[in-house]
Amino acid sequence: MTSRRQLLRSAVLGGGAGVLAATTMGSLGPEAAFGAAAPGIEPGTPDPNFAEGRIRDIKGNTLFVLGSNMVFHSIRVVDGTSLWKLGPVSFEQARPGDGLYARGVRMPDGVLAAESVWLNIINIKGHIRNITSDKIHLDHNGKEVLCHLVPGTSVAVYSDAPPSADLSLLRVGQHVQVLGAWRPDTNEADIATVFSPH
Amino acid sequence: MHGIAALQAYVIGPLLLWAAMAKLLGRRARASAEQSALARLAGPGRAVHAYRLTGVLELAVAAALLAPPALPVDGLAAAALSAGFLAYLTYARVAAPASSCGCLGGHARPADPRAFARAGLLFVMSLAVIGAGPLTVTPPLAALGLAEAAVLVGLSAELDRYWLTPLRRLVVRLRGPLAAPPPGEVPLEVTLRLLYLSPAYCSASARLSSDVQDTWDEDGLRFVVYAAQGRIAVFAVPLAGGDPSAVRVALIDEPVPA
Repeated sequence: MTSRRQLLRSAVLGGGAGVLAATTMGSLGPEAAFGAAAPGIEPGTPDPNFAEGRIRDIKGNTLFVLGSNMVFHSIRVVDGTSLWKLGPVSFEQARPGDGLYARGVRMPDGVLAAESVWLNIINIKGHIRNITSDKIHLDHNGKEVLCHLVPGTSVAVYSDAPPSADLSLLRVGQHVQVLGAWRPDTNEADIATVFSPH
Repeated sequence: MHGIAALQAYVIGPLLLWAAMAKLLGRRARASAEQSALARLAGPGRAVHAYRLTGVLELAVAAALLAPPALPVDGLAAAALSAGFLAYLTYARVAAPASSCGCLGGHARPADPRAFARAGLLFVMSLAVIGAGPLTVTPPLAALGLAEAAVLVGLSAELDRYWLTPLRRLVVRLRGPLAAPPPGEVPLEVTLRLLYLSPAYCSASARLSSDVQDTWDEDGLRFVVYAAQGRIAVFAVPLAGGDPSAVRVALIDEPVPA
């Protein structure tokens, strides 16, 4: 890992640039641009390269996921797959019971080769019912969601200011949007980002 | 005991009067009616009429309770109204759990256990009124009346913003439960939001095919690695300062392990 990091570090510090020239990315022709963008999915049909659900089982590098529409997915996680669980994590952090969104490439055998997996990610709006030690009691459609502050990870974005690790400006009664990681089978979550309108 | 029974009319009466005024004169009465479970019960077009009719009934019962003489029928009417509230709340809970109860006017919270407790308490208090005579006020009775009113206010989610929210704000100000953390560690999200604003990220974002794969700090820089359609995009983001143009990027092939 260290040597890989050293290689990547020297690449960006040695030959890195402020922006990538368009030619670095391949053809500049319109057919390449539009060809890459066209997803080729009929409107109204499910995106074959996306899966959601909850992990039922983990075998080797494959996640067995039951979707909320009761469709089963097999999701293969490889070295290049990014996993998010309140931040980038390793594959070992995935647990049966975790909620999941995954994006990747559907293989001919039906397995989704994942490029990105987000575990337990939630994005909810509500108003702050109360604030107690390191916890925000969020009223989300009349139901309480207990949002935990995670030191070193949780940030607040006040209006359009840069994010801040200081959440102390949040007020009881105000509306917020919380991006975070659900704690499975509870009404609790860990905060990644709180968005405050002011 | 007679005094306590007679007192109840003067606790229920003002509450019903308030509820009636909120329904008949409230600026947001129409919106409240449409958000409430009445819209489901009476049909969307008739919700406002049903809401106003409830207000009229509440006003009539409040007037009967507050105006002399004290008759058993006053208590019966109040008990019938309270029983109606309970039935309505049960209906709202079962048939339209996401709708607000619309009880004391504008607020968007669904019927919760407190609303049931308040309606149940009103019912019990109304029953007490049925056999009551005229009220003779004594200091203990006045104190009891105030205590009952306080309980009813405490059970009213609509009124939380007048006392509970300011109280909680005060406690938060005194205790500081989310105190500012010591400076030092920069959360990853701070780096990522600076990254998203950078010309470097904008020039590469169309080709990124994963979320963050790896990240580490070195020499005042945070390195962030993404997959980019079979290749790797590496960003170097300064940990201090907020200048997006200082972010650097390189797009390389996966290094072969030595």
